[in-house]
Amino acid sequence: MKRLLGIFAVAAVLLTGAAGCAKSDDSIYVLTREKSSGTRGAFVELTGLEGKDENGQKYDNTVDTAEVTGSTNVMLTTVAGDMNAIGYVSLGSLNGTVRAAKVDGVAPHIDTIRDGSYPIARPFHVVTKGELKPAAKAFLEYVLSTEGQGLVIGNGYVSIDAPRALADAAPADLRKQTITVTGSSSVTPLMEKLAEGFMARYAGTGVKVQVSGSDSTMGVTDVLEGRSDIGMASRELKSSETERGAAATFIAKDGIAVIVNRESNVSDLTMEQIKRIYLGELTRWAEVTA
Amino acid sequence: MTAPVKKGRAQGLLQRNNEAVARFVFLAAACVCVLCVALICAYLFATALPALAKIGPLQFLGGVRWDPNRNIFGILPMLVGSVCVTGGAILFGVPVGLLTAVYLAKFAGSRTAGVLRPLVSLMAGLPSIVYGFFGLVVLVPLLRELLGGPGRGKSILTASILLGMMILPTIIGVSESALRAVPGSYHEGALALGASHERSTFFVVLPAAKSGILASIVLGVGRAVGETMAVVMVAGNQARLPGGVLEGVRTMTANIVLEMGYAQDLHREALIATATALFVFILLINLLLARVKRGDRA
Amino acid sequence: MKKPDVLSFLLRWLVRAAALVTTVLVLVIAGYVLINGVPQLKPSLFALKYTTSNVSMLPALLNTLMMTGLSLFIAAPLGAFSAIYLVEYAKRGNRLVKVIRLASETLAGIPSIVYGLFGLIFFVTALKWGYSLLAGAFTLAMMVLPVLMRTTEEALLAVPDSYREGSFGLGAGRLRTVFTIVLPAAVPGILAGVILAVGRVAGETAALIYTAGALEELVKSPLDSAATLSVHMYHLAGEGLHVKESYATAVVLMVMVLGINGLSSLAAGKMSKGGKCAS
Repeated sequence: MKRLLGIFAVAAVLLTGAAGCAKSDDSIYVLTREKSSGTRGAFVELTGLEGKDENGQKYDNTVDTAEVTGSTNVMLTTVAGDMNAIGYVSLGSLNGTVRAAKVDGVAPHIDTIRDGSYPIARPFHVVTKGELKPAAKAFLEYVLSTEGQGLVIGNGYVSIDAPRALADAAPADLRKQTITVTGSSSVTPLMEKLAEGFMARYAGTGVKVQVSGSDSTMGVTDVLEGRSDIGMASRELKSSETERGAAATFIAKDGIAVIVNRESNVSDLTMEQIKRIYLGELTRWAEVTA
Repeated sequence: MTAPVKKGRAQGLLQRNNEAVARFVFLAAACVCVLCVALICAYLFATALPALAKIGPLQFLGGVRWDPNRNIFGILPMLVGSVCVTGGAILFGVPVGLLTAVYLAKFAGSRTAGVLRPLVSLMAGLPSIVYGFFGLVVLVPLLRELLGGPGRGKSILTASILLGMMILPTIIGVSESALRAVPGSYHEGALALGASHERSTFFVVLPAAKSGILASIVLGVGRAVGETMAVVMVAGNQARLPGGVLEGVRTMTANIVLEMGYAQDLHREALIATATALFVFILLINLLLARVKRGDRA
Repeated sequence: MKKPDVLSFLLRWLVRAAALVTTVLVLVIAGYVLINGVPQLKPSLFALKYTTSNVSMLPALLNTLMMTGLSLFIAAPLGAFSAIYLVEYAKRGNRLVKVIRLASETLAGIPSIVYGLFGLIFFVTALKWGYSLLAGAFTLAMMVLPVLMRTTEEALLAVPDSYREGSFGLGAGRLRTVFTIVLPAAVPGILAGVILAVGRVAGETAALIYTAGALEELVKSPLDSAATLSVHMYHLAGEGLHVKESYATAVVLMVMVLGINGLSSLAAGKMSKGGKCAS
């Protein structure tokens, strides 16, 4: 029994020691999204993490010790729990569990994104190929109309500049039609609202819009290969995609918030600092705050 | 007189026919799984081999860099990652699982077993995302506070512990039925020779159930190697060789689920080749197991 | 009198400790789900139609039941028949048996994500089923087939040979012996396998996101896309907007699994009793 207690005591001392070491550690824990994410694509492009090789092919210089996650939720939960973490999420997904850092002195907000003073913002696109079927066309009209753009603003995104008034679609085009929309999970929450608005407006026709989220690249591929009518992308299209016949229509603008732990003493970062953190050149928070 | 004889003969014929049909149906059913494997093989290899030829088998399996943008496809880091977390999971999961199975099969009273068994099957039914959440919200912060390290709680160790939990029901379920399948006379014989209940269980019944137990471990390995949704939340997913158990790692499955969505051309083929490597890995383990089993029968 | 036996004592406590660890782990994870999920349960989560404001899980719940039913409907007879062949018909040392066994062990080891990719290319694309309940169910059926085979086989092997000899002795054919004597005696074991399989199907995500899609609507035909509960959870949590509701989904999933388990063991009890009465 005594021996057992002794072992427990030693273990306890060791663990507190280890915990103490862990606490004094201020190395930056970098989180990034998977490479297919439009959020990552836009983030990397805007912060200058992209490089070009001798063939002019773009690549992503994010440091390879960065955690890669496919989920905004994992990003938020990890940053909310770790003093040392830094990550980025769509402004639409930002919540109170983390703190959004100011970038070059500007806080991310719908107004600062609209006037362009917040530097990390990206477009939401819908992707189509060739002529749309009438029902899908009507849906797109709706998205770009004052009514659809009202939903864009209502859900915390920046609308397009000149929405048109909505002309009623011919009910015959919509009757019992199903429109499939797939792609970027960042756009999905907004697209679901738009789909509901559209279906409510034309409730009598039984038209249906089915939205399912994966990621931007999947959305483009789905449209190109005929698996869905409309794709969603939260980045610009690549030349390889436009060459295959994909066309993008701009529907809204979204900011990307750089997030840190709420207890962190960092609240303001410059683009240069963000870049150097993600390149792996700055590895300790002391170097950032100094 | 003749009628009943005829009837009997007809019935016999019918019966023989039925037997033949039944035999054929059962055989066909048994061949379905061979067909499944053949289909999967055909599809995987048809895509993977050309890619492997383009990349170069050595560069693919032995390369330590994975950088699809520059067409560098080395899966060694992911290979190491999968082996590490699977090994860790076995290390945590098998002892606990096997001993629990022994408890359920030979020690628990019917009431305790009646409580514990549903709990174990509940564990089997929880989706891996729930385990992932649990890992992310409970295990990761715990290990971060206790041990720290470069992975800040997202590490090989965390993934191993979580996977160890996840394979428990598989290990327990299959081992327990293997233990129960050992004839009671083995146990009784050992008792009659003066062994205690514990000794007879561990030194007579357990060895007799070896093949079932090994099967449970193989199933456990399969589950751990193939787990995706939970691992991807707690392992960090860095595509580089890990330096220690407290560092993050990317498994082959995580590599596929993170990148499959956008991969095109050679990159997509390289990911399918990753899946193929995973598949071959499983095949090798099974062959090894088959050899081990044959070894002991001889 | 028995002498005090240190090894036996140690082994006894080791086994108990392991059982305790398992119990604690189950309770911790179940408790974690309940604590986070139960406060989030509200009637709107069970609305008939899914909308982005109520994020109802009812369609996904019903889809899960259908997906589970369909995939087991495909896999359970196959698994049982295969096991019957292996145990009751095949000759020992038959080369084909070795191949079948190796194939089933390989199938058991294939990661669900690989099944997902295969399903995407084969069922969804090559057979043109699209993202659908059917494609998902077939993919899952392939996945649980080895589990069902293995458990049925173990259960059949556990039936004493004297049962078979008795039946043959009374003049019954092989087929009759299998269906009236051996199978009833093996039912509890087979149901244990079904439970394992149900658990895997209900909790599967990786294989389904590539095959069954993520449509939050009750399926009307087998060719409709259908999100099951765990896929529903995955999508709710993905963007970090509905994490609370995804915990509630986990609670429902857990209750469902418990319910299915309860039903199965009840059925197993009844059937094996019935079997005894008949004999």
